[in-house]
Parts: sequence; C-alpha cells; structure tokens
Amino acid sequence: MLFHPAIMALLLADALTLILLLPAGLFALRLLRHWDLNSGSARQIRLERQTYLVATVLGFVFAVQLLSLLLLVFTADRLAVQFVGAMCAVGTFNVNPFGFPALFLKLALFFLASAWLFMNHVDNRAPDYPLTRVKYGLLLIVLPVAALAAVVQVRYFLGLRADVITSCCGSLFSGEKTVTAELAGMPPLQAMIGFYSVLGATVLGGLFALWRRRGALVFSALSALAFPVAIAAVIAFLSLYIYEHPHHHCPFCLLKAEYGYVGYLVYLPLFAASALGVALGVTLPFARAATLAPVMARITPRVVAMATGLFMLCMVLFTWFSWRSNLVLLG
Amino acid sequence: MSEAFIELRGVRKAYNEGLPNQFWAVDGVDLTLERGRVTLLTGPSGSGKTTLLTLLGCLARPTEGRVRVAGQDVSSLPERFLTEQRRHNFGFVFQQFNLIRGLSVLDNVMLPAFPLAPPHGELRSRALQLLGELGLEHRSDARVEWLSGGEAQRAAIARALINDPPVVIADEPTANLDTHLSKAFLAIVERLKDEGRTVILSSHDALVAEATIVDRIVSLRDGKVVG
Repeated sequence: MLFHPAIMALLLADALTLILLLPAGLFALRLLRHWDLNSGSARQIRLERQTYLVATVLGFVFAVQLLSLLLLVFTADRLAVQFVGAMCAVGTFNVNPFGFPALFLKLALFFLASAWLFMNHVDNRAPDYPLTRVKYGLLLIVLPVAALAAVVQVRYFLGLRADVITSCCGSLFSGEKTVTAELAGMPPLQAMIGFYSVLGATVLGGLFALWRRRGALVFSALSALAFPVAIAAVIAFLSLYIYEHPHHHCPFCLLKAEYGYVGYLVYLPLFAASALGVALGVTLPFARAATLAPVMARITPRVVAMATGLFMLCMVLFTWFSWRSNLVLLG
Repeated sequence: MSEAFIELRGVRKAYNEGLPNQFWAVDGVDLTLERGRVTLLTGPSGSGKTTLLTLLGCLARPTEGRVRVAGQDVSSLPERFLTEQRRHNFGFVFQQFNLIRGLSVLDNVMLPAFPLAPPHGELRSRALQLLGELGLEHRSDARVEWLSGGEAQRAAIARALINDPPVVIADEPTANLDTHLSKAFLAIVERLKDEGRTVILSSHDALVAEATIVDRIVSLRDGKVVG
C-alpha cells in the first residue's frame, strides 16, 4: 500500500517538510534568543538576512502542506475500493486508529500553515521586521504539530491492511453516542438556522469591516466559528439534500464522482474563507508597528473582501443544492 | 548645521567572509553625511573608497554595523526595499560610466526610470531636458559607443539624474578625464549642489580635493577613516 503514488507523495511531502522544518526550528530558537534590532552586530545582521531565506523555504513547505490536506482526503477517497466495508474516505480513515487523527492533525496544520503564511506575507511587506519574532514564535508551535502529523500519518499508512474489514459512514453517522452521530441527528431546521445565522453574521461582519474599516478582528472570530458550523451543516442537512436520502449524512461521499465532486466545490471556498479569516485574526493583534499601518490598511480589506465573498459563495452553494434537491426535509 | 541624511555606525564590510583570504575592505566606519553638501572620499587605492560608496548608495550591505538613509535602517533590507531606496534616493556615476552599448544616449538616460516610469512622452522630455542642461541634446540619438570620454560622462550624469535623486554618487569621476573635462565636471557638481543635492565623490585626484565646492574631505586608509 505504501507504494501507491499518492501515499508516496504524501510521505515525501511530510519527509521534506520535517527535513526543512527542523533546521528552521533551530534557527527560530536562535532568532528568539539573540534578535535585537538595535544591535548592528554581525550576528544580528546575519540573522536579519537569513530570516528571508528561512521564510522562503517555510513558505514552500507550508504551501505543500496546504495541498497535502487535499491530497490526503482525495487519496483516502480513492483507496476506499481496496478495503472491505469502505464506501468512501470514512472507511479508509477507519481502517486503523490513526486515520482520523491523521486527518485532524492535517486540518490543524492547514490552519496553522495558513496563519504563518499570511503573517510572513505581511511581515515581508514592511522593511523593519515588525512580525519576525512573532512568526518564528508561531513556527515553534507549528513545528510539533507538523512532526506529530507526519508521525501519525506514517503510522496510518503503515497500518493500512487490505484484509481489514472496516466500517463506513453509515455506522459513523448513526446510532452511537458520538459527536458525528449527534451532528447527524441534529434536526435539519435547527442546523439550517445555525448555519445561516453564523455565516450570515460572518458575511455581515465582513461587509461592515469593509464599509467602516474596523471590526476585522470580530470578522476573524466569526470566520473561525463559521468553519465548524458549516461542517456541522454539511452533516446535518446539506449531505441529505445532495444524496436525496434522509439518512445519508456523510461529508466525504460528496467528494465522489457519482455526486459530481460537489464536495470540492463546497469545501474549497469554505476552507479558503475560514483560513483567510483565521490567518487575519492571528496576525492583526500583533500588527501594531507604525510601518505596518499602511500595509494592513491595504491588505486587511482585500482579505476581508476575499473571505466574505467566499463565505457568500458557500451560502449560495448550500442554498442552491438544498433548493434543487428532490428531497423534502422541511414542511 | 545641515540635516543628517546618511549615517553609518560601526560599519564593517568583509569580502570572502569566513574564508582564509577574508578581507575587511571597510573596518569600523562611523560617518554622518548631511543634506546638500559635497563630500569627497579620498585615500590610496585599496583604502575602501569604492566599497564605502557602495554601502552609502545601498549597492551593498554591511557585514556589521548600521547604515541609515533618511532615517531608515537599510543595513539588511532585502533587495526589493534596497531597489526602492536606490530608485528614490540615489543617482550613480560609475568610474567606467557603465553606459549600455548598442542603445542611444537618450535610451541610456531613460533606462533607470523603468519599470515605474512616468508616461513615455513625459520621461523623454525630462531626459532631453537633462541632456540639454548638460550640453548633450544634439547627441541624444547617437549610440553611446560613439561618444567621447567627456560626452560619455555627461550622459552618465544625465542618467544618474533621471529619477531626480537627492543624492548623486560618483566613483572616481575624473579618473578618465583630462584637466579641462575634469573642471567641466566640477562645474556640473557645483550646479548639483546649488540645486540642493547631496554629492558624494570618491577620488584621489588633487584637482577634486582642492576644488572649492567640496565641503568635506573624508580620508580613508585600510578601510578606516583617518581624517
């Protein structure tokens, strides 16, 4: 199983990530210890120059990690045919106990990497290194998550046995007292009210931030909230409408060809919008330097506009798929 | 006293750093250059004049120490910020002029304005005006390899001024000129000074050192300021 091209790509991506992250982590420790902008010492000057090289490498590493989340889900979906009992990615992730932890760690890494990339983008726009300490501090938080994600993913792939009978989405989203079963059991109307309230508030928050040029932090907090609410909405009602089946709650089957890959259409804007909102929220509290004022004045509205537009697109897509479905859930 | 425009604090610059043949071309220079003044860097060959000019003009970064231009630390700025500094603050006249062969005088003069140039007509007018002020308008369409030494230098000066920089840096500007052309160059420097520009020259030509337009002479030896 390890020689599946996508699995090899994922393992190589993680190996490359760790190979590059470990020296970057050591550099981050050195930087946090010795960084002193008031000093003109050779060490400080060298640190200032090296920070661009390290940041460029990290930009590449984290961009790879953003793509690897997509590849992991795609691979899990494609591998489902090889396991007895698996119908979609859920079955593949359930083959051994490391499947879902690997996915959740990749998700955490996705948001952390997005935040780091955005912070780096902002920091590089100012000439006086205003966020350099913070972004290398953040790197020291990302590093153990990336290492753990890599280890868990390797354990997951090493534990893939084709003779294992796995359980698929039907069992995950029904019966037992699990979070997923609770979400699946949520009344559709309640889920819809939650979804449209939170995403509506997020979009309004974004429009307000664009109009009045303030409140971006509130928008970021709403973006962070919108992500789990939207995922819950997918499980609670969107999947039912798309499958046109009142008991099929799986958020992974949406990625399959028989449903026209609509999952990618729904998830890409949702993930992108949430990541943008969260990254902005992580950066804003630290972006207080005078040199960043014009930078943030330029970047913040762009990011808010992009994220707001993507959340609006999500709402339109949810509404459209629910509207055109032949399934009647309400009324 | 004039306002400080360029400040160097404990600046050192090594070549071949970390190698057995490491060489400190500039070794612990503290220097403040004021706006609107003509400063001459002088000293024997190998004293660090040209290296110091490249540090002052953001063409190179120090190994150690701080360089501030117009209040901004430029010691470790990445290239995109340094380019901005050079574009807005400095005009360079190189010892060998470094005009681009195959292009006309006018094209050479207009070149540093790109890629952020104003509309072409406006830029062309400004270039022709500069060439006119330097008595070179009639040669604007000539290819630079056809120019005499004095003409090539004036073309290089026009090119240095195309972005209207507050500082003009000239490295050994009279090294390839006879006495008559050297005096003509000093007359141009006087005009630049009258326009309020800061001029930094490096030269070991006595004619330049004795010129009345020079406000300050900084003597270098072995990479250190000695007077």
